[in-house]
Amino acid sequence: MQNNLRITRFVVLAVGVGLLLASSRTLAHHGANLYDMSKAVVLKGTVTKFYWGNPHNEVSFDVPDEKGEVGHWVAYTEPPLVMLERGWTRKSIPVGDKVTVYIFAAKNGSTVGTLNRIVLPDGKELTAYGAPGAPAPAPAPK
Amino acid sequence: MRNRLVISAAALVAVAALSPMFRVQTAASSQGGTASRQSSTSKVPDLSGDWAPDRTRGGMGQSLSLSDIGGRKRGNEDDIPYQPWARAKTLSEKTSTGPDPRFDETTDPQVIYCEPPSVPHIYLWPIKTKFIQTPEAVYVLYELGPFFRVVWLNSTHPADPDPQWWGHSIGSYENGDTLVIDTVGFNDKTWLDQMGHPHTEQLHLIERYKRVNQNQLELDMTIDDPGAYTKPWPSHRNFALSTTGFLRYQQICSVRENQQFFDNTGKPAVGPRK
Repeated sequence: MQNNLRITRFVVLAVGVGLLLASSRTLAHHGANLYDMSKAVVLKGTVTKFYWGNPHNEVSFDVPDEKGEVGHWVAYTEPPLVMLERGWTRKSIPVGDKVTVYIFAAKNGSTVGTLNRIVLPDGKELTAYGAPGAPAPAPAPK
Repeated sequence: MRNRLVISAAALVAVAALSPMFRVQTAASSQGGTASRQSSTSKVPDLSGDWAPDRTRGGMGQSLSLSDIGGRKRGNEDDIPYQPWARAKTLSEKTSTGPDPRFDETTDPQVIYCEPPSVPHIYLWPIKTKFIQTPEAVYVLYELGPFFRVVWLNSTHPADPDPQWWGHSIGSYENGDTLVIDTVGFNDKTWLDQMGHPHTEQLHLIERYKRVNQNQLELDMTIDDPGAYTKPWPSHRNFALSTTGFLRYQQICSVRENQQFFDNTGKPAVGPRK
């Protein structure tokens, strides 16, 4: 109960994204047993670190609540090889940026999870697991 | 007259030594196989380009089972002719991905030890494949690893190949539009796919790559392993031509980086909140 209340402090809006893993065509994803993949929790925070590398990129960000307590969150994405196809680069998420993060959070209430998408200060949205944005196939020959 | 015949014979030998067919046969012999006849007039299909799993045509399924590409019926698929031990082995494995992932306790050796996935497992990763075709061999490059395979043309398998991660591959072109790869000599340390389907050193994998149009490549496979399955069974993968570049990032497996990742994002989520 206490963990659920702690999550609630940081939650602005819980968004249902459907059972994406139910699709047999969904991209492979590690750790889905540890995270609630049925809905993305929405958090507003400040980026403290952006790890661009294998096996997965990691976005670290701090989320304060109304009482001033700060939650230290880590959200991971697919590796650079995959995320480059979605337009990400190692400079996509600068430290210090104030962002809105949609994350499939850990079931046990810890401040980790899988990134669904992130909105940057200029409004640009970077998509990750379970979000639209997969690269389109090459156009058919004319 | 006799001098002219000697000179002519020498010239003939010189020309033969320089001919492509002769060079190919020599190369094949150096790889432990013996040269076999290959038609010098076979049309060679163009497999150039970067081939990504085709998301629009089931290219991202986790299982080689054609009736259950998502792995929901793992161990009980209609189209996999298990021997009893192979079914039990499959069910005993804990996958790191798929419909029932156990990332924190997976038994996938590729995830735990950074061992090569080999074929056909590598085709279930979200990475691109590239074929470099030469007269003596087809070099198959993968973004994961990065790994590559050598498929010897105009060759045969060694009589007793050492069991190795990628086996020993020979290839030929069929009907002017298909590359056929025949591989034996696998070790038994890998999974056939992301769902933990096992194989033995008896695995004989046949792959048929056909470029059906400019932007689509299809792979038909036959998995023949009498040590694990009661009969050969088919599988299939679809690929789409990618234009965004090859090996834009080196996806290299590091045990240290894997541990760091798990410590940062996995361990906190395991069990009750710490």
